[in-house]
Amino acid sequence: MPQQFLAQGEQLQVPAIDFAAVLPILIVFGAASIGVLLEAFLPKHQRWSSQIALSLTGIVGAGIALAAYISDAPEGGITTFMAQGATTGAIAVDTPALFLWGTLLALGLASLLMIGDRSLEPGGAFISQAGLQSGGLQTREQANVTGMQTEIFPLTLFALGGMMTFVAANDLLTMFIALEVLSLPLYLMAGLARRRRLLSQEAAVKYFLLGAFASAFFLYGVALLYGYAGSVKLAEIAAATAGSSASDTLLYAGIGLVVVGLLFKGSVGPFHTWTPDVYQGAPTPVTGFMAACTKVAAFGGMLRVLTVAFEPASWEWEVPLWLIAVISMAIGAIFGLTQRDLKRMIAYSSIAHAGFLVVGAMTLTEDGLSSTLFYLLAYGFTTIAVFGVISLVRDANGEATDLSSWAGLAKRSPLVAGVFTFLLLALAGIPLTSGFIGKFAVFSAALADGNAALVVIALVASAVAAFFYLRVVVLMYFSEPAAEGPAVTVPGAFTTAAITLGTAATLVLGIVPAFALNWASAGGFVP
Amino acid sequence: MTSFSQAAVVLAQQGGEDVVGTGEAIAFWVLGPLALAGGLGMIFVRNAVHSALWLVVSMLSFGVLYIVQSAPFLGFTQIIVYTGAVMMLFLFVLMMAGRDSADSMVEVLRGQRLLAALFGIGFATLLVGALARSLVNVQAQVPPDPYDPARGGGAGGLGRLVFTDFLFAFELTAALLIVAALAGIVLAYRDRREGPKRSQRDLVEARFRGEYKRRSPQPGPGVFATGNSVATPALLPDGSIAPESLSELIESTNTARLIAEQDRVLGSQAEHDDSRALLAGEDEQGSEQEGERK
Amino acid sequence: MPDDIAASGGLDAYLPLVMLLALSFGFAVFSVAIAPLVGPKRFNKAKSEPYECGIEPSPQPVAGGGRIPVKFYLTGMLFILFDIEMVFLYPYAVAADAVGMFGFIAVTIFIVAITIPYVYEWARGGLEWD
Repeated sequence: MPQQFLAQGEQLQVPAIDFAAVLPILIVFGAASIGVLLEAFLPKHQRWSSQIALSLTGIVGAGIALAAYISDAPEGGITTFMAQGATTGAIAVDTPALFLWGTLLALGLASLLMIGDRSLEPGGAFISQAGLQSGGLQTREQANVTGMQTEIFPLTLFALGGMMTFVAANDLLTMFIALEVLSLPLYLMAGLARRRRLLSQEAAVKYFLLGAFASAFFLYGVALLYGYAGSVKLAEIAAATAGSSASDTLLYAGIGLVVVGLLFKGSVGPFHTWTPDVYQGAPTPVTGFMAACTKVAAFGGMLRVLTVAFEPASWEWEVPLWLIAVISMAIGAIFGLTQRDLKRMIAYSSIAHAGFLVVGAMTLTEDGLSSTLFYLLAYGFTTIAVFGVISLVRDANGEATDLSSWAGLAKRSPLVAGVFTFLLLALAGIPLTSGFIGKFAVFSAALADGNAALVVIALVASAVAAFFYLRVVVLMYFSEPAAEGPAVTVPGAFTTAAITLGTAATLVLGIVPAFALNWASAGGFVP
Repeated sequence: MTSFSQAAVVLAQQGGEDVVGTGEAIAFWVLGPLALAGGLGMIFVRNAVHSALWLVVSMLSFGVLYIVQSAPFLGFTQIIVYTGAVMMLFLFVLMMAGRDSADSMVEVLRGQRLLAALFGIGFATLLVGALARSLVNVQAQVPPDPYDPARGGGAGGLGRLVFTDFLFAFELTAALLIVAALAGIVLAYRDRREGPKRSQRDLVEARFRGEYKRRSPQPGPGVFATGNSVATPALLPDGSIAPESLSELIESTNTARLIAEQDRVLGSQAEHDDSRALLAGEDEQGSEQEGERK
Repeated sequence: MPDDIAASGGLDAYLPLVMLLALSFGFAVFSVAIAPLVGPKRFNKAKSEPYECGIEPSPQPVAGGGRIPVKFYLTGMLFILFDIEMVFLYPYAVAADAVGMFGFIAVTIFIVAITIPYVYEWARGGLEWD
């Protein structure tokens, strides 16, 4: 027997790796790892500042590497980490991937600024020791201890790196591990709020349990698809769909389970149940990060899977996805009307938006792809800014997210009310905002693809959803402020920068969207 | 020797005796029901620890099934990682929540359990029905040779795949593990506020300054003095029994019975030499402690 | 010899393992069965304790419902970490000559990355027991 183990004399070739192409991902993961080491060795009082410096450097560095690569990126995109003799590599670096990387890095930067903010709450929005039992005397003490669990920064970077890998993963196995890398930090971060600890921990546990279920669905789907195609590579699944003798049941069950896993992450339709609780319970900067970046990653991944792997089977999944889009829009629009809590309301709004995004994702044309990418970019910036503004309005117990406390806000702080109104209008999709352009692009792409019925339903849902955004606007401008209502905190530089970035992007993308749309439509997925 | 045991069974039923060896069939029909029983046991047992142990049965059966299917490395990994490490972590979590703590069986949402069961069974039926049908016409593949990495089998073949096709996924796993460990520590670790750890010397000095109840260690039991049982009490220089050497658990031992008998014969207020008397009243002991502190 | 293994589907190699399993199972059953038959029966409370070594098992705090402290979990976490590392190292070891220097670099990066949380836990004092 031993000689058999030694008998294999031949050497395997090194996989072809284009380091320049994946440098942004490597920088983000590298910065995250260094961040963990900083946590290990720095004394407590130096951690916050060095973590902020490191994370910002990492994200900006990754952005520069990305820009440098884009300037002379090969036409049509490449795949890297390609084994010898294989036709595709594990990571695809094509126009959608680059666009989504840019989106994720920009949104990640804004989120990081909000996460790092210490001006709104002394010590930041995060608990300084998560290990203490909530409800105890120590926890109440903790609320006043300045200082936070600075592990949040490396965790954010890991999540961001996972998202960037997720949207570029060219086989389902890499995709699954990326899915876990992006999810695990989020589960934890949802539970680190400084105030309302129990709510925050409940959010973390719910997100974790349901997320683990969704991951299991995804993995089961991957296994079935492997059984069908004999490979987990997206391109080979597509090839097998065209001509495999294996039973199609494996394919359909596999597609269904994989897509359910993705829809969960994108908080779509009937798989949304975690969304309101988690959005409400998580610390607001984390909610912003989750709402913007996770949605970008989930839909980025879904676009790639649907287009590259499942397109030959599209007539099978079109009807279910059609239904899911309708359900998601309906749930978001109708339940959004009944919410009394602002964070929950935005959560239902995100479910409605997820429905609109499904409309774009299932439109497998060039316009469908580019409009969905643009929608993700626009929605991400608006959402981050929305959560930034929500974190400003505070009373003695922290953030005042109850709708009634926002009554008459315009009289106290016209600027904040104005910005918030603008952002809500963007979410509703009123012209001159990025939300309008996004919706317009997605709906016209779907219309061109012959999905008129769906577009009509989407328009109705938009109109219903617009009602609850406008309700907040009316409340802010035409109600008398409560006598002991919340105050608007003047934000520090970080949160101001994040809100400004989000609002400015919403405005710019609403007025001159051409540059982003052009970039998004510069090319499709690498086959 | 197919990749899917279900398919193997189906084929065996169709008379494909040349495809499935007798040994494999026996292994399957022993391990399959065992795995199923483990799964059902896990769900239906009330005690959480027992439930975890049923899961172990299930996982071990899977591990052996993998080995039977010519995937020895996968089988052993299943046993080492899942039945070993992951189950241990499960048990830690159960113990952390308290071995005796049980979920309340009251349904918060009415009809939830019924609906969950219905949907669960429906989903399982759908999948099993569809898959069983689809696996009938699966081509039985020649299994990879576990002794020849070049032909894709065993740990060697896995190693080749890990370092070629799935290199990035492999390195990404490291990121996943970092996050997992970091998250565990963040959630579980508490900073100690008291400052630096006290050294042996600090502790000795603290003892003699009177911060502790007694300066010397507790007396051990009188093992090997007169017998070799922990139940044997240690004797003080005057021959009486050292009360602190008596285990609280050993009341049923001969010594304890003897003392109890003495107490009964002499009357409870009797002053006897026996140092057990020191334990008789809490007040007495308390005053003694105070004296020691001064 | 290899041909024999291939002919039997490779499972003959496990025969010693199965025999060992049967032997250990039989021994366990035998021990449990024979003890009450031949042993003397003198019980006391101490004998029904988990350890009969002179150390009283420290009772779990009643307040927490007999829970074990969360510290065990940290150690368990590290154990899983290295367990998974080992699972990856084994295929590398078997395929080492085929993947060569490049494989060595890849696996080194992996090990260094795995060590990071370990260093973190150590530096933070997560490994100190009391």
